[in-house]
Amino acid sequence: MAEICCEEAMSPPATATAAVAAAVSASAAAAVSSAIDRRRRRMEMRRIRIASDLELQAGEDGRPGKRQRLARTASGAPRPDEDSASERPSCGRTEEFPRYGVTAVCGRRREMEDAVSIRPDFLPASGKFHFYGVFDGHGCSHVATTCQDRMHEIVAEEHNKGASGEVAPWRDVMEKSFARMDGEVGNRASTRSDDEPACPCEQQTPSRRDHAGSTAVVAVVSPTQVVVANAGDSRAVISRAGVPVALSVDHKPDRPDELERIEAAGGRVIYWDGARVLGVLAMSRAIGDGYLKPYVTSEPEVTVTERTDDDECLILASDGLWDVVTNEMACEVVRACFHNNGPPAPAARPSGVPSSAEAAETENGGAASVKGISKAESSDKACSDAAMLLTKLALARRSADNVSVVVVDLRRGL
Amino acid sequence: MEQQEEVPPPPAGLGLTAEEYAQVRATVEAHHRYAVGPGQCSSLLAQRIHAPPAAVWAVVRRFDCPQVYKHFIRSCVLRPDPHHDDNGNDLRPGRLREVSVISGLPASTSTERLDLLDDAHRVFGFTITGGEHRLRNYRSVTTVSQLDEICTLVLESYIVDVPDGNTEDDTRLFADTVIRLNLQKLKSVSEANANAAAAAAAPPPPPPAAAE
Repeated sequence: MAEICCEEAMSPPATATAAVAAAVSASAAAAVSSAIDRRRRRMEMRRIRIASDLELQAGEDGRPGKRQRLARTASGAPRPDEDSASERPSCGRTEEFPRYGVTAVCGRRREMEDAVSIRPDFLPASGKFHFYGVFDGHGCSHVATTCQDRMHEIVAEEHNKGASGEVAPWRDVMEKSFARMDGEVGNRASTRSDDEPACPCEQQTPSRRDHAGSTAVVAVVSPTQVVVANAGDSRAVISRAGVPVALSVDHKPDRPDELERIEAAGGRVIYWDGARVLGVLAMSRAIGDGYLKPYVTSEPEVTVTERTDDDECLILASDGLWDVVTNEMACEVVRACFHNNGPPAPAARPSGVPSSAEAAETENGGAASVKGISKAESSDKACSDAAMLLTKLALARRSADNVSVVVVDLRRGL
Repeated sequence: MEQQEEVPPPPAGLGLTAEEYAQVRATVEAHHRYAVGPGQCSSLLAQRIHAPPAAVWAVVRRFDCPQVYKHFIRSCVLRPDPHHDDNGNDLRPGRLREVSVISGLPASTSTERLDLLDDAHRVFGFTITGGEHRLRNYRSVTTVSQLDEICTLVLESYIVDVPDGNTEDDTRLFADTVIRLNLQKLKSVSEANANAAAAAAAPPPPPPAAAE
């Protein structure tokens, strides 16, 4: 039996259990749901709890006072004025520091080939633009780690190429960035400088690394918009008034329009342990994988979504999560963690990196699966709890892959 | 005068001229024919390589180190041979290797047995005996033939079961894709090795005449 590779799972934080209890409360309080929907939701939530309890070996939440508070919050009852005053920071201040949580764990795979990139304020001249990227590598990890290091820089360069005063449309920025990233990955063998360590797969046969690739789901969050660019089968989802809204659609080879594109290019998709391009690769778009071009392209699908007051969170994750957790369930887990942690602390800076990120870094023998976070940057307990809980849920449901999760708090003016 | 025997055309899709096929026809008849039963399929692929046959064969025969010319291999370990402890690295029919496959592919491991290693005729063969993949009863033969002094023709053929739920076409597409990629890599590696050897063998330039 493959061992689950996740130290954090052995010592769960107490709030994770409370979060599950909150999930149950939140579900029970959903008065607008139909009876059937309510029953289905309760069944789903019960499974979350059972799965998480099995994983966490935790008992039931024994704090009735806290449960009562959560129930009141979940039901949407108006709060006393004093609560409102102390818990409603100015809109501007909440945007100063992005609130996010991140986990990246090896899970049941032999090696960690996922990489996550978090780059707050990555457009120096513009301000308040935050970059989040999840890259799920295959064949080897070097494509994902190259994306982790370079994608945000390329996006920033393309964004700033617009004529002075004129901002390039995000669709163009992303399409050019993905093409450049793909080109860099393809050329890296010939352009690698002497001081860069050779990737293990390169030592076998120098200058031939076409058989590695990576998904790339990238989000740029500004005060007014969420821009998502995706190639591959990682995914970005927003929770809006409790309803999941997919900002990307997985590039599976049997997606009708992808199948049509591949066959028009002279390729074929066959079912060989799932739908695969030429029977080999289980996704139809990726960075890298030169040997499967033009069937497997790096061209991203781009969405630009206006932010609204109903937006709760943004979730970016690799298919290690999405293969075993629905969009609906993921959003409900995050909502539960938000309710459990209460409103975000106004303008407070946590003193360090959340334990989940530390665990992720430690777990992979020092190699950083998550980059962009530093001690000085803010993170957020509710988001960290949500990311960790989603990861544990995926592992408990026996996800067969690396799992990487980013949760971004999109709530305004609470 | 005795009538000239008609030369059969080369198999379709092989990419060989009639003259080339005539040179290797005996090899094909001897090593690349299979009794294909129901539920099985077979295929033959060819690769021209601009390198001496000896340089190509030196790469092909490495049963212990297939990653030199095969894609998708993460690692390969020869199983110890309990009957010949004195020479653990000896490549002999019956030896087994454990291949670990890179991620993202519809396979994770493959156990393979060396069937043929004929240095005189440059014939290499192996059978997949186990592992996590869908290629059941896969048996393969690779031959290295000389076309001319510096041009080599590699032929690789296989026979394999068609998995439940797939067609012969599916199976052939998957296996041929992997083999074609491997043969292209074999070409790159062999030609690079031959070029390096040729450069090393070049005589040093004559010393400049000293003007006194």
